[in-house]
Amino acid sequence: MAGTLARVLARRGHRVLALDSDTLPGLALSLGAVVPDEPPLLAAAEKGEDGRWRLRKGIGPMRAVRRYAIEAPDGVLLLQSGKHTDTGLAPVMGAVNAFYRLLPRLKEPAGLRDWTIVGDLSAGPRQTAYDWAPYAEHILLVVEPTWQSMLTARRIARIAASPRPVKMSVVVNKATDEAGARRVQDFFGEAALAVIPADEALREAERSGAAPIDAAPDGPAVAAIEGLADALEPSSLPA
Amino acid sequence: MKIVVAGKGGVGKTTVAGTVSRALARNGHRVLALDADANPMLGISLGVGPEDTDALVAVRQGLETGDSEHEPTIEGFVERFGTDAPDGVRLVVASRIDQFDPG
Repeated sequence: MAGTLARVLARRGHRVLALDSDTLPGLALSLGAVVPDEPPLLAAAEKGEDGRWRLRKGIGPMRAVRRYAIEAPDGVLLLQSGKHTDTGLAPVMGAVNAFYRLLPRLKEPAGLRDWTIVGDLSAGPRQTAYDWAPYAEHILLVVEPTWQSMLTARRIARIAASPRPVKMSVVVNKATDEAGARRVQDFFGEAALAVIPADEALREAERSGAAPIDAAPDGPAVAAIEGLADALEPSSLPA
Repeated sequence: MKIVVAGKGGVGKTTVAGTVSRALARNGHRVLALDADANPMLGISLGVGPEDTDALVAVRQGLETGDSEHEPTIEGFVERFGTDAPDGVRLVVASRIDQFDPG
């Protein structure tokens, strides 16, 4: 959903920075981006005298985006954390640390203020608890009509509400019928910002390795994400 | 036997783990189901119930908030922090992330 939303917004003329916080692959595929084997942000990090990772001198958020973001279709720029390798995270820990250290500074540069940032967190509450989205003004809680998904989203919402005020909205995903969407909305006691239906074309796109917006542009799921962008536009997008 | 279920998020690990646990228990095995996910949901697949699963006390949180000594034995952990699930499965939740903790 994050990748498709980023592409939709970019097509509408917004400058979009997609942030992939997940150490497992996903966002690049849904954006349709081709990423190098080695995470570009590795070059942004160095180890200090204390043995801890830090950003190299002179690397701030604007420079990091210019140098290390990957160009995705429709002009979206993708900044990635390090990804798990065959031997784990150790070979890319520099990139993971550089990414994490850049996150709180994304609001600093004037050059990024009119950008739209679409962040994709890893599944579950961990990254929310660890403050991996300090830039967020609006958190979309993506929920499937299952107990596991609803309880997880409620947990994330409770955690996200504690450090700073942030707007939160429920987005129902993989809804197979109206009852499922209603169940989620009843659980949270609010209307969903969007209901994205289960779409076989998206599963097929995933199997083929294509971005949903390229593989199934006329499908119901992409249409619903277009509707989500409509709903977001008055509140989150630059004038 | 000792089994671990692994895989990417959303693929059905918890459903497999819970259902295999119940099936083994029905076949006469004594089953300890250990939920090591920081977002523990195994209780739902075992049949403990959604809200009861959400309210289970995890070992880590139980030790952090409790005023007694740390449990010295594994059997003690299972007894003290375990929950009975259907078919005689004993469920233990290792830890749960449920608050903001950027440190």
